[in-house]
Amino acid sequence: MTDTILDKEQKLVQLLEQTFKKLSGKVVRQRRVTVSVEKELVPSVLSYAKSQLGYIHLSHMSCVDWPENNNFEIIYILWSPADKVQLFIKTLINRENPEIDNVDMIWKHANTYEREIREMYGIQFNGLVGAQEFILEDWDDMPPMRRDFDTVEYVDDNYTFRPGREDAGDVREEIVKRSGEDIPDFAKKYSRD
Amino acid sequence: MINDKNSKKIVDIIQDFSRRHSLFVLAYGTGCGAIEIPPTMTSRYDAERFGIRGMATPRQADLLLITGYLASKTLKRVIRAYEQMQDPKYVIGFGSCTINGGMYWDSYNTIKILSDYIPVDVYINGCMPRPEAVITGFIELQNLIKEGKANGAQKYKENLEWYRENQKKVIKDWKMPDYNW
Ligand code: SF4
Repeated sequence: MTDTILDKEQKLVQLLEQTFKKLSGKVVRQRRVTVSVEKELVPSVLSYAKSQLGYIHLSHMSCVDWPENNNFEIIYILWSPADKVQLFIKTLINRENPEIDNVDMIWKHANTYEREIREMYGIQFNGLVGAQEFILEDWDDMPPMRRDFDTVEYVDDNYTFRPGREDAGDVREEIVKRSGEDIPDFAKKYSRD
Repeated sequence: MINDKNSKKIVDIIQDFSRRHSLFVLAYGTGCGAIEIPPTMTSRYDAERFGIRGMATPRQADLLLITGYLASKTLKRVIRAYEQMQDPKYVIGFGSCTINGGMYWDSYNTIKILSDYIPVDVYINGCMPRPEAVITGFIELQNLIKEGKANGAQKYKENLEWYRENQKKVIKDWKMPDYNW
């Protein structure tokens, strides 16, 4: 029974694995397939999926930081309106000197995602055209979405904390003390511990 | 009425009366708190009965509402808007985010204490404050005007250096015109 349900997903993985040698795919569940490829293969896999397999829509492009393995993972999420399957194409790139090929000739709107990833993670996209500054203004620190970026330290250097709000501690006791009111019952069940 | 320097002249009383009953709010929202402004202004809470209404441009407005978190990028626009407003002008900081950063206390791109950058007359706390709280804040401001204590704009002029210094800590690339008052 499960075989027939996951039929089109398995066929898709087979097809991709036959076409590209260095590619491994996996069916996650119904309507969801992930494949991992080398970063050199990304443009060809994307254009193959777009022109031959009907994955005509790039829904999203995102990035995950893995400082543990010294990697960035770039994920392209494609959608096929005919198959109704979401195809995740993942690739790992090295954290030192990260660069990958630009794909905005396949989908124009990839340009926006790439500029965001460039700014937030500091990844260079070879051949990407567009202003360096995208959302942040006058940013001169480490790209802020990297996991080794310490936001609290940055805030401490650039802004002033209001005394009493230097952490996310529970301040309800303090409020009770100052206002003389009780904590309402509905609020007691929420706790930070 | 004794006409010495410390007592209010009748003109001042009339002036303050008309000022506090015609607070025109610059229609500009920064954070999520702006979503409480439409119910405050429309028929259910009807803030217009207090003389509070929206205005399109900074030059026509008396009141700048900072409705929530203020990104360091938005701060630049807020300062420009504030400096373009005509005297008398007042600022209300709206929501926990303007007081101590609220849930963005450790965010890299929102300011934490609004009154470091522009003078704030009244803070309304809550995340987000209900229209009742907003209107209470407005009334508080009206009382301050009545007592002649809502003098944020004057404070800003006198301590401009200090405010500028704080502002330039966040806006590193300062490319703004210096207005003359
Ligand atoms: S105080 Fe709460 S509602 Fe207001 S801007 Fe901050 S997070 Fe949003």
